[in-house]
Amino acid sequence: MTDLDLAKSFGLEIAPCGPMPRIRTKCLGEVEYPSHAVFTFPFGIPGFEDERAFVLLERPGAQPLMFMQSVATPELCLILMPILAADPHYKLRLDEEDLAALGLPARKQPRMGKDILCAVVVCAGGDDRPAPTANLLAPIVVNLKRKIGIQVIQTQVHHSYRHPLFSGHSREGLALCS
Amino acid sequence: MLVMRRRPGESFFVGEVVEIEVLEVCGTRVKLGIVAPDSVSIQRKESQLTRDENIVAALSVEQKNISEILNCVAPRKRGTPVKRLTAVQLLTTDPRNSVKKH
Repeated sequence: MTDLDLAKSFGLEIAPCGPMPRIRTKCLGEVEYPSHAVFTFPFGIPGFEDERAFVLLERPGAQPLMFMQSVATPELCLILMPILAADPHYKLRLDEEDLAALGLPARKQPRMGKDILCAVVVCAGGDDRPAPTANLLAPIVVNLKRKIGIQVIQTQVHHSYRHPLFSGHSREGLALCS
Repeated sequence: MLVMRRRPGESFFVGEVVEIEVLEVCGTRVKLGIVAPDSVSIQRKESQLTRDENIVAALSVEQKNISEILNCVAPRKRGTPVKRLTAVQLLTTDPRNSVKKH
């Protein structure tokens, strides 16, 4: 699968780079970006409420990971992955408030990969956890047409906010994680 | 943990100034009304957990951790060469800017 095919599979395109504004990213060097590659988060995200503009980056060889880099703060970058890659059976439910915040029509659940990008925030690990985890409780949802994003908290069904990430079918994956 | 039984219309105080009233009980859901000064921050537990997770996740982003995550989410078969690294790419949705395949 090429990078373009992968990006398309979650409803995105790869933008070419040209003479454009630049940002310093946390771990991918300097990147030029066109203004239409900026996704607006009107409320920021919990913990970073003042961060309203992000770009999504992909590094070849690092799929399915995406990098959600703040435009204003070089040190702020979050690693995302498509929610279905973390949990193939995930069902997203957006309530009226979420749909309105995203500028999506009311009473109609949007389609992942078509209308919206739905991705989880990945935590690489820390003192309190040995292996990477994903926050399934609060996915990042982006309206692909309007380029508006929010982090939605899903309370209808119980979801773990520290879902362990390992490929369930692969012993090798498990061994590498342990 | 203090356990208390309340009916709709009844309330209780947390400290001197924070009052919590049970407004409605409907099936598995309880509607609460909270009266508190502006200085008291009120948020759902899930928001608090997500806030903490976002902060820890942002701190965990380092070059060396990326390959560790990749090992978990997309383990390579033995002997598969790591794809040659090319430039970082921006993801967008504007069809005018899609790259044509060669």
